[in-house]
Formats: sequence, C-alpha cells, structure tokens
Amino acid sequence: MSRITIPIGPQHPALKEPLSLKLVAEGERIVESALRIGYAHRGLERIFQNRNYVQNVHVVERVCGICSHVHTTAYCQGVEALLGLEVPPRALYLRTLLCELERIHSHLLWLGVLAEHIGFTTIFMYAWRDREIVLDIMEELSGGRVAHAVNVIGGVRIDIDPEYAHSILARFDDLERQIEVFLGVILHERTFQVRTHGIGRLTAEQVRRYCVVGPVARASGIDVDMRRDAPYAAYDQLDFRVIVAHEGDVWARTMVRTMESVESLQMCRQLLHAMPEGPLAVRAPRRVPPGEVVSRCEAPRGELVYYIRSDGSDRPARVKVRTPTLPALAALSEQLQDINIADVPTVLAGVDLCIACADR
Amino acid sequence: MNVDLVLEALHEHFPTDPLEPRIVPVDETIVTLTPENVRPAVQMLIERFDLRHLSAITGIDTGDEIELLYHFWDGQGLTLRTSLPRENSHTVTLIDLIPGAAFYEREVSEMLHVLFDGHPTPDRFLLPDDWEGEPPLRRGVPLACQTDNLENGELSDQRHSRFKGEARP
Amino acid sequence: MLDRLTRRIVRWARRKSPWVLHFNSGGCNGCDIEIVDLLTPRYDVERLGILKEASPRHADVLLCTGPVTRQSRDRLRRIYEQIPAPKWVVAVGSCSCSGGVFHDGYNVLGGIDQVLPVDVYVPGCPCRPEAIINGLIRLLEEIE
Repeated sequence: MSRITIPIGPQHPALKEPLSLKLVAEGERIVESALRIGYAHRGLERIFQNRNYVQNVHVVERVCGICSHVHTTAYCQGVEALLGLEVPPRALYLRTLLCELERIHSHLLWLGVLAEHIGFTTIFMYAWRDREIVLDIMEELSGGRVAHAVNVIGGVRIDIDPEYAHSILARFDDLERQIEVFLGVILHERTFQVRTHGIGRLTAEQVRRYCVVGPVARASGIDVDMRRDAPYAAYDQLDFRVIVAHEGDVWARTMVRTMESVESLQMCRQLLHAMPEGPLAVRAPRRVPPGEVVSRCEAPRGELVYYIRSDGSDRPARVKVRTPTLPALAALSEQLQDINIADVPTVLAGVDLCIACADR
Repeated sequence: MNVDLVLEALHEHFPTDPLEPRIVPVDETIVTLTPENVRPAVQMLIERFDLRHLSAITGIDTGDEIELLYHFWDGQGLTLRTSLPRENSHTVTLIDLIPGAAFYEREVSEMLHVLFDGHPTPDRFLLPDDWEGEPPLRRGVPLACQTDNLENGELSDQRHSRFKGEARP
Repeated sequence: MLDRLTRRIVRWARRKSPWVLHFNSGGCNGCDIEIVDLLTPRYDVERLGILKEASPRHADVLLCTGPVTRQSRDRLRRIYEQIPAPKWVVAVGSCSCSGGVFHDGYNVLGGIDQVLPVDVYVPGCPCRPEAIINGLIRLLEEIE
C-alpha cells in the first residue's frame, strides 16, 4: 500500500495552538509521525535574565495562560527559598486555593476540548459553561479571569472574608452536581466510551521511559503526584486522594482528570473551612543572595520544575523551566503509531498538550 | 530513594570524582561528576536504584564553563552536575538509557551549543528553521531580536505600524 | 440601480455574518481561551452572526493572538493571503498589539502589525471576552 504524508498545523481546526505534525499514513493507519514545535517560542528563559525578580513574576505568569498561577507559585516558592523567607500560613492556604481552582478550570477546559474533538459538542458547551462558575470565583478573588497576579514574592496580595467564603462554598455545590453529570457521561455513555476506549494507549513502561508526568502517567498506573510526594504550599495540611487508573488510554485519562476535579473541590472546601488568620505576605528584599533552588509543583498537566540560580543581584542568573507537556510530546509518537487518521484529534486532545508551555 | 545509599554507591564507583554533595532547596541533593562519568553514573543509578525519572536537563553558561545539571526525582531530588569547557562543548547522549532525555538534550544543544554525541536527531527544536544567530543562552549574546531589522548591526528602533484605519478615541 | 442594490445587500450580509478564523502566532494561550469562550453559552457570539471557521478560505476576519515569532511569521502571511478579499484583521491581546511582555524576546518580531495590516486592536492581557466582542462590533461598524 502506498504511503501519503498528511501535514497537520500550525493552523488547523483540530489544534488550538500552533504545532506542526507530519503524519505518514498507509491507507487509514498512521505508520510514522514527526513533530515540529517552536512556533510559540518567545525565548522566555533569556527574557527572565533581563528582568528583575519582581518583574519576572508577571512574565512567569504568561508562560502559559491556562496554568498561569502554578507557574508563579513555583517561581515565587523558589525565590522565597533563596531568600530564606517564611511565608505566612494564610498566604499558603490562599495560594493553594487558587492552585486547586485553576486545576478545576483547566480540567473542565480540557474536557470541553476533548468532547469537541470527539464530536460531542454538547459536553463542550456544558463544560465551558460550568467552567464560568470557577472563572467568576477567580475573578472575584483576584480581578482577573485568566491571569490572576495573586502571588507576590513573600506571599499573596488577595484576601477573603468569611461571608465571601460562604458564597464560594454554595457555588461549589452547584459545580459538583454538574461534574457528576460529566462523570455519568464518561461511565455510561456508549458513544463516548467507543471513541475513547483503547485509543492512544501508553503502558506504564512507556510512561517511565519517556518520563511522562501528570494525569497521563497516573492513567497508566504510575502513582506519582507532587502535591502528596513533595508537598508545597499548604498541601501537607490537606487530606486528598491521588487518582490512578490502569488502562492508559484516553478514557482512563478522562476518568483521572474528572475525578481529580472532584477531589480539587473537596480540597477547596477544606481550605476554606480551615483558613488560618494572619498576615498575607512578608517583605522581600530586592536583591537575592547567591544560591540555587529546584522548585517542583504539580501543575494541572503534571510535574512543573523551576531551577533558579541567583548571583547576588536583583536579576536571576538563570531560570530554567521544564513544563509537563515536554515529556508528553516525547511520548506522542508512540501513541500515534498504528491508529486511524480519524482518531488523531482524539489522541492529541487526550494528552492535554499545552504548546505555549512546551515552547516557552 | 535513599539519598545516602545513592551517595555511597557514587563514592564507590567514582572514587576520584569530587562529588561534594550539598543540599539546596527544596530537598535537592546536588553531586558533581566529571563529564565522562555522567553516563556510567546514570547507568548505575538505573540498574541499582531504578532511578529513571529525569525531570530536566539545565544548561548554564557561567562565563568560565558550561554547567550541565541533570535533575532526577524519586521521592527526593538528585541532581548530577558536570562542567564542560566553553569551546568545543560536547558530552555523550543519554537517549538510549532514558528516551525521555531526547527533547531535553536537543534544547540544551541549540540554546548553548553543546553537542551530545550519539543523539540521532540533533535538528532544530525550539529555534526557528532560519536561525542564523548565536546560541541564545550563551553569555554576551544580546537579547535583541535578530531579524532583518538589523541595520549596521544595531536593532532598528523603528516600529513599522501597518495599522489601516484611523485611531478613534 | 440594480448594481447599487446588490452592493447594499452584499454589505448587509457581510456585516451580519462575519466568519472568523482564529490563529495563534505564538501566544501564551490566555487570549485564545477567551476567544474560544466567545462560542460558549455565556457569551455566545453566534447570535451576532459570528462563526468560527476552520479554513482560511471560508473566513472574513482573521483573529490573531500572540506576538509574532520568527517561525510563525511566514505561516501567518500565508494564512492571510489565503483569506479571500475583503478581509479584516483583528489583533486580540496586548501581545498581538505590540509584543506585550515578550516584546524584547530574541525570537519575537513584535505585534501582528509587523507582518499584516491590522484593522482593530483589542488590548488586554488577556483581554476579556467582552472586549473582544466590542472590538468585533467596532469592526462591523467600520465595514458599514
């Protein structure tokens, strides 16, 4: 059978972000794939060296628009460690609250995108409509729907009063009911299962070989989550489950992410009920003494690593960012092997790629 | 991962290497090795401790040398540090031991001009296809965008605006 | 007389159904998710006649987000050339207006106007869906 090459991207209805994928197909099955990224490469690691630590908080937030808060969390944590600052507990709780709200918004966004690629536009509309509840809460807390600017070096700049906390808890009940509806679709809707079972499978061994992280790894049976294994912010005070599945296909990833959203809601409730009193931030000096730090967080897509080296001035000598999408891209060729052309958008959506994160 | 056992094993296998273990935030142990010992060390860590999760490879141009940091994680962080000379910087690839290192090595390679001997696809990864300039993360390379706007080597400050209409308040 | 009437009808049709093509030339995704948000029940731009198209050949308006990176520049030009005239360009977000926080990056050429003629600038980082709708309505008024 002769082979044809199908180029996908950088502009393509199946892609939300610029990425070039060249697929070689024999009949309906993919036999080879080649990936080209770099369309969104803004040279951030070099830009960080040209800005001071405070300005960098704003630049770090714009590495990725979807997981902006966790990037600033990882960065601020790193700089606070270099400065030897003790961040007040209330600030840690508020930071964690935004982290979990962001996880819910990211997973609902992803669910909508996956549903749209499968052809289930109803779930896309429902998921994004319900995501507005979370965006409203984040906007009321911080002033921004997508970029929140909540973290400062030394703490946070927002606060919350008990009355407002009550209104958030009431809206969580609505959101939980809606997420139960989505779980129902995933578990019982036959068309959804047929489109996602067995597609894009990764074994645990493949996940380990490519160092894949996050829900994709957990859906293949790897039980790793930075929130539990290397706790940061207020995660050591929370009681939560890490969701692991074993099938390793797009269906398992959907289960893992949706159930993680439910767990995140529980965590937000715990945070609001147990919020300690106290200051919101400590003063941070502008110059950072020489040192280095490796700061790890669990972004919605997996382990996010920041390596920061300081040289005594007010600008970092080096900020290295390793986002969770990078290893997921490395494993993409394995997932695209031997699948039908029609399943390619499902696999791409199932991995939850964030090319802006990968390109930086 | 038990960091003490790992350090003991590294001392045993590489008695002449400085090692100089130190702990940096957040719970990360950094160990220094010579460049030729990095690959055998990784092999040993995989065989004896099943340490296969490579989080990242950081490259830094310190001015005197190119530092490479291989960040591993298994419950705790372990970073293997090595230094390469600034001219003719090259080291051996880890891609056959850890396929996930492929993209990390490609990125360090194009950002800092470090060659990883044995890497099967050392093509452009993040930088554009027509990139002619210096590796961006090397010291002394200016930040300015290296494009056709360069006049006499200086970046032109003229912003060409192609706005079509009239600005309305 | 008939010609003038036909032109009026065509102009009315263009105003009432501007089909948009969205292209991200290197942004962080913040503005992109706000653009996709326009299609969802809360903002629902389909009531204004705006449909998000998949192919440049079907579109009237190019919604661009993100600063122009060197790798994206030629692709952006090619997409613009493929859109049949009359066509309009809306730069969504501070990055596509001027380069935003990345303006001095070594791989960033600046805003969309370094490559294409822009009709409407919608600033914001990221810009709110209401601002994007406002920008599109301003564009439709211009078309008139």
